[in-house]
Amino acid sequence: MRKLFAILSLLVVASMALAACGGGTPAATDAPAPAATDAPAPTAVRENVLRINLGTYPDVIDPQKSSYVNEIAHLKLFYEGLTKFNDKLETVPGAAESWAYNADATQLTFTLRSGLLYSDGSPLNAKRFEYAIKRNIDPATAGEYASITDEILNAPEWRAQLSPTCAAVAAAQTAYDAAKAASDAAPTDTALAEATTAAADALSAATCTEEEIAAIAASVGVKATHADGADCVVNADTGNAYDDADCNTLVLSLSKPAPYFHTIMGIWVAFPAKEENIADGGDIWWTSPVYQVGNGPFVWSIGEPFVRGIFTPNANYWGDKPSYDLEYRYIVDSAVAFEAYKNGELDIIASAAEDLPTIQADPNLSAQHMQYAGACTTLIKFGLAAKYTAPDGTTYDSPFLDKKVREAFALAFDAEGWTKDVDGGLSAATWTWIPPGFPGYDANSPLHFDPEAGKAALAASSYGGPDALNALGLKLTFGDSPRNRQRSEWIVAKYKEYLGVDIALDPIDATTFTAITKDPATFPLFARQGWCADYPDQQNWLSVYWRSDTTFAQRQGYVNTEMDALLAQADVELDPAKRADLYAQAQQLLLADIPSAFGYNSLNHYLVQPWVKGIVTTPQDSDWPGSFSVATITIDTMMP
Amino acid sequence: MATYFIRRMFWLFPVLLTVSLVTFIIMRSAPGGPWDTDSDRRQVDASTRKSLDAYYGLDKPLWRQFTAYVFGDINSVTKKFSCGMICGNLGPSYRQRGRTVQSILFSAPPLQSFWQSRFGYSLRLGLIALSFAIVLGIPIGVVAALKQNTLWDYIGLFIATSGISVPSFVLAIFLIIIFGSWLHWIDIIVDNWNEVKYWLMPATVLGFGTMAYTARLTRSSMLEVMRQDYVRTARSKGLAERIVIIKHMLKNALIPVVTILGPALAGLVTGSFIIETMFSFPGMGRAYVQAIGQRDYSMIMGTTMVYALLVAVANLSVDLVYVFIDPRIRFEE
Amino acid sequence: MAVKTSQTNEIESERDIFRSSKSLGAEAWARLIKNKAAVAGLIIIILFAFMAVFASVIVPENPLQINDGKRFLPPPFFKGSTNIQSDPRFLLGTDSLGRDVLSRVIYGSRVSMVVGFFPTFIILLMGTTIGMIAGYAGGRVDNILMRLTDVIYAFPDLLFFIIVMVALRDSFIGQLANGLILLFAALAIVNWVGVARLIRGQVLSLKQKEFVEAAHCIGATDFRIMFRHILPNSLSPLIVNMAFSIPGLIIFEAILGYLGVGLRPSSNPADIFITSWGSLMLDGQSAINAQPFLLLSPAICVALIVLAFTFLGDGLRDALDPRMRGTQ
Repeated sequence: MRKLFAILSLLVVASMALAACGGGTPAATDAPAPAATDAPAPTAVRENVLRINLGTYPDVIDPQKSSYVNEIAHLKLFYEGLTKFNDKLETVPGAAESWAYNADATQLTFTLRSGLLYSDGSPLNAKRFEYAIKRNIDPATAGEYASITDEILNAPEWRAQLSPTCAAVAAAQTAYDAAKAASDAAPTDTALAEATTAAADALSAATCTEEEIAAIAASVGVKATHADGADCVVNADTGNAYDDADCNTLVLSLSKPAPYFHTIMGIWVAFPAKEENIADGGDIWWTSPVYQVGNGPFVWSIGEPFVRGIFTPNANYWGDKPSYDLEYRYIVDSAVAFEAYKNGELDIIASAAEDLPTIQADPNLSAQHMQYAGACTTLIKFGLAAKYTAPDGTTYDSPFLDKKVREAFALAFDAEGWTKDVDGGLSAATWTWIPPGFPGYDANSPLHFDPEAGKAALAASSYGGPDALNALGLKLTFGDSPRNRQRSEWIVAKYKEYLGVDIALDPIDATTFTAITKDPATFPLFARQGWCADYPDQQNWLSVYWRSDTTFAQRQGYVNTEMDALLAQADVELDPAKRADLYAQAQQLLLADIPSAFGYNSLNHYLVQPWVKGIVTTPQDSDWPGSFSVATITIDTMMP
Repeated sequence: MATYFIRRMFWLFPVLLTVSLVTFIIMRSAPGGPWDTDSDRRQVDASTRKSLDAYYGLDKPLWRQFTAYVFGDINSVTKKFSCGMICGNLGPSYRQRGRTVQSILFSAPPLQSFWQSRFGYSLRLGLIALSFAIVLGIPIGVVAALKQNTLWDYIGLFIATSGISVPSFVLAIFLIIIFGSWLHWIDIIVDNWNEVKYWLMPATVLGFGTMAYTARLTRSSMLEVMRQDYVRTARSKGLAERIVIIKHMLKNALIPVVTILGPALAGLVTGSFIIETMFSFPGMGRAYVQAIGQRDYSMIMGTTMVYALLVAVANLSVDLVYVFIDPRIRFEE
Repeated sequence: MAVKTSQTNEIESERDIFRSSKSLGAEAWARLIKNKAAVAGLIIIILFAFMAVFASVIVPENPLQINDGKRFLPPPFFKGSTNIQSDPRFLLGTDSLGRDVLSRVIYGSRVSMVVGFFPTFIILLMGTTIGMIAGYAGGRVDNILMRLTDVIYAFPDLLFFIIVMVALRDSFIGQLANGLILLFAALAIVNWVGVARLIRGQVLSLKQKEFVEAAHCIGATDFRIMFRHILPNSLSPLIVNMAFSIPGLIIFEAILGYLGVGLRPSSNPADIFITSWGSLMLDGQSAINAQPFLLLSPAICVALIVLAFTFLGDGLRDALDPRMRGTQ
């Protein structure tokens, strides 16, 4: 028995040793550096640290490669773009003190603030932004948001490494045009038709030479200059122009009028990461706080993957500096985060629908709960282009090609009931597309919840009522998760109740769901999908999402030529009032055409501890409340 | 024995190759790809997709992608030969851009030791959970068998039943509420994983099921062994009771227990997805599940290969331990 | 220290071969029903089976009825952390869509019992056969079969489920019983390896024992030795495995749902399989503050099933033990 005990106790000791492994290493145990300003008073009961639960740990924290909210939440702490957004989501000066368009909005000129510094004290000039924007376009970077700067002259050509101006492409184009003309003239001649097909293949296979691509890259419409238009001076020692203090002007040449483009320059893709740091750090430069030297309000001081990130105020930031340290935590499970919050271990968490009854029952918690409009609209989109299979194996066209059927399903969607019973009040019903708080919000809608009218519309449709639809075996396909199950169960039950339509539930793996919605041929009959603003402008809501040549409309099979024409006109309109009016008309056309049952807007909903003061919210706070004005937040370190 | 061991080591190669081939086939037949990000946001456009495919070699035929992963290939962008899995190169992660799979799994943050890597964290947690399972499970099983149908037996049964019928995601939240929110014994948010106390809850939750299984298996095989002649003989020889229990009974009862503990270690190291989520533990279980959802192909391959190697080695050790426990077992023919 | 069970030696049990096999079952049954714990286990299992079969008759409410404005009602006997008034109609309260928890738990027994049972049966059958052959034949056969188990152990289960569920969801087998049959097959394919290795380990040890030698000497065939001599002596780990496999599968089904490859939920009250304990527990975990009974009720049911199987399994083991033959 003694031997057994010896073995057992050895195991116990070994376990303890394992847990403590590497305990002596310095980086893991170092306490965060104290905040640069406002040393806490002696009687402070808490540290001057704002502790935020961010949820999932980011995959990549690189301004030109990131695309998720949790990734951007990091980037916007230690970088700042040329412009930024205020609490009303208006575009205001960031690193640039001003900007101006030329007469037809095809050229945008930014003037940087003077004396801008990086957090390490090195100067920040327009050349840095030129590098960042070009890095975003560069096909070698292949960032997921690369296409957002496609308005820049030659940017799409460089990204695709293909341009009609390349000799081989131009020749193939000429050959194709000739063949096409010949075969159009003699439509019955099969030989000519084959020649045309061959010419089309040759055209799609034509490539640019490396020299031509280099020339396209060099001609991309991004250029940093002096205020008088002179070239920035290259320092002979460093071989770059990053220390030329007079290089404060950035000129963007656009391929078409884009009066909204200054807004895009406020998002993360134009954040000026340092070229030499990216070169020194190699592919993994972004993982290290050492290389993430930026111009934002914070400095990344400690990054422990999956455990925490700590950010201290940047003393070199040009604007108001935050008065506290900031700490990100990465707790994925909402129930655990809620326990930690109630324990006072976190200052800001997102509240979950399941916890809402508990929050409302507790006067303290309900006083700490913030709930305000968010940046996403979610719809039940109707599949239009795909073929669907009935239980007997026959395929049929989407019943939603009949506008009356679309109308019926839209009228019978109880958005109010959804927000109350499914989301527990953590979303807001909407009957329009652009959400409140965003430029272009228009509450007018031709449709509202009306099940009787819905039933009538279905009866008036070519199907004449629910029975013909039920014979088709309609399916509601969704990416499976406990939450989505409840949502889908509700939708199906309500359509049964209001329209008498039987819809089967069809859960699939979330990534598979995304994959099938990407192919117009497999787009599901119903797809609960939404859009969250990239940047606050009508163009981002309407032209990027609904125009029939955009990926989203194509996948769904949605075409509305009348609206397309209005949007094309609005996108290049320079007069703000007229532009807003054109977008408003386009939105009304969209609503009247019922491409989906308009559903609900996201709400931002957070629990914030009472000692965190001065939070200014915006609809785009999908990371945490107050992230757009970090300087106004203070922490009452005296409050128990 | 030595030849047997060497022969088994050689068998690792075909096993790993088969696992990689099977994984590759099922992985690539799943719909969607690494650039299919969710559809509520801007999508990766065609030309970006093309450059990404070219960079990662996804534009090549499938068989070539497989051989490229396992043996190596010339990168079409950099024009350099990069050796594949056989050189220990598990490929670049498609989602954590710029990082390689082996660095994600095995490299610690700067200035920290291997034990602070994701694999190191998981290995430590797995080992602790396993020792927890052994240290508690075997004695509980032995006591329950010796005192069959007494209160002790029922207490053991109760522990084992709760260990298997309460899912780990439920046990975790219960423990967090009890020890974090009510008793305030530990912080829910872990500041420093170097402190031993933070490991107790995740290791307990992770090892609980294995502990319960170990206890029940030990109990049942002890009961079996207790009825054998040699135990009677040993007793009648007048041997001390503890020697009978340990030398004659426990040693013979351990075969099934050892069988499950080998693969259990591999499972505990990599299969802690839920525990990692609940305790925000920086291990590799989440890397695997996330990689599947994101279709991060080389990450899926890499984590599967690490797991396969663990399983194969664990099962080999089990076979060796068999011989140690029961000298009658022979593997050479 | 007394060992309560009476002992007979292996030579004696060898003599059993010559007894008629009919008495084996009858004798075992007689011993089984004498065991109070085992009978209790059996009764619990029968009760749950009854509940599963007659779910549609005994549920107090329609389990699919969404009651607007009645989400997360607490049970009448419990004052939770919310201010919501309970409703005597809902004995265990309601879930996030205002559906009756009790009715859902009753319906959940169907899926969970079936998911626990059938794959376990297939797993035991496959695992035992392969494990016996590998352990008994040894050498090359053992090596090949065990390397196969190494491969399947290391198999990415989750990916496999995703592929199977996605690729076959529209096929005939995928539609069968709401996708349950497909789920069984997939579960069995990845789970038999544990049993196979367990049995092989037992066989490796048992085949060197005297009673096997004795059987060889009297000319018993390999088949007979494997299934009449070695198998009954390897039963106890099998029974433990079975008692663990059932709740394991019930919970695994929940985790599959969590990861998006679980059972298809139903919207049609006429369907047999509507929800499972596993998915109830998943819903309950996130709502643990608002409505703890959403989690507790299915968890208690799973615990009861486990206890029942453990008792019954122990009783069965004792009843079937060849060394207990002829003892009462």
